[in-house]
Amino acid sequence: MKSSDLRPFVEKAANDTREVMQSMFEDNQRLSRRVAELEVLLAQRESLESMLKERVAAIEEESQRFSERYVEVEEQNTKLANLYVASYQLNGTRDRSRALAAIQEIIINLIGSEELAIWELDEELGALTLAGSFGIDVGQWACVPLQAGLIGTVAASGEQFIADPERCGTAIDAGLTACIPLKLDDEIVGAIAIFRLLAQKQSLEPLDYELFDLLASHAASALYCTREQKGSAQ
Amino acid sequence: MRKKVLLVDDSNTVLMMEKMILSKGPFEIVTARDGQEAVTRSKSEQPDVILLDVMMPNMDGLSACAAIRAQPETSGIPIIMVTTRGEEHNIETAFRNGCTDYVTKPINGLELLTKLQNILGQEAAR
Repeated sequence: MKSSDLRPFVEKAANDTREVMQSMFEDNQRLSRRVAELEVLLAQRESLESMLKERVAAIEEESQRFSERYVEVEEQNTKLANLYVASYQLNGTRDRSRALAAIQEIIINLIGSEELAIWELDEELGALTLAGSFGIDVGQWACVPLQAGLIGTVAASGEQFIADPERCGTAIDAGLTACIPLKLDDEIVGAIAIFRLLAQKQSLEPLDYELFDLLASHAASALYCTREQKGSAQ
Repeated sequence: MRKKVLLVDDSNTVLMMEKMILSKGPFEIVTARDGQEAVTRSKSEQPDVILLDVMMPNMDGLSACAAIRAQPETSGIPIIMVTTRGEEHNIETAFRNGCTDYVTKPINGLELLTKLQNILGQEAAR
């Protein structure tokens, strides 16, 4: 075959190759553009994902804050309800037995003890005399001379006694958990003793101390008023 | 929708406390003062849930719980026992008598509302 015969064939092959290369070059450019677009999309998506993660974290944090706040508000509500109910019960009667029952119910149901004693001060006798009780040996606690033991000391000094929290519910002065002096115009008129707490109550809580303060004044007032009422009725 | 709750306790203090806790929710409150009255009122009132004290005069809460379970008209009403006796054996006795759940005294408002929510559904106790 002559070389002149090959020339058209070679030219055609060269043209075909150029066309293929041109096509490949265009494909390459198109794919490069697509890759660039996808990289932009990917970056946008990563940015969006990161933003969403931050937003979810913020919402979760806010939700957690709301939950904690809800618990705080409910605890505060319970505390206020306790104080309101205790105050209402103590001041809502002129009947002595109902006043004593109210004090007992507050200690049993709101503080959490089924071993309690309520004394009034007999100044002539120089001792506390038992006015009401629940779950204790009445004979043992019928009369407590002033200065005798923790309870007598509380009645003499007017200083509240709270057992060491570490040893709450254990035997301290016959299992005494707290002793609250009852005061009217800063004068001691009686005392309340709370012995063993209920099994499910491990220790005294901040609300209990507020109930003790409320009992110290309101129970004293209730007992005094109902005693006067009873006396005048007789 | 308001849910009817039967509160059963012989103590004014506890009834008042429970009413105050439930006052924030969509509840209609009815009360009874002892176990016998609880059995009667559970039948006449058909409450959605009963909060039942254990230590009561006439008929105690455990007997009342069993009696409520025994009445066909009230056998399915959820009963939450409210007790000062939180020891395990007392709780077991309460469950043997048919209670659905229990709370111990002193009542924790949040705990009670959560248990009511679990029993009555999400729309309640909010």
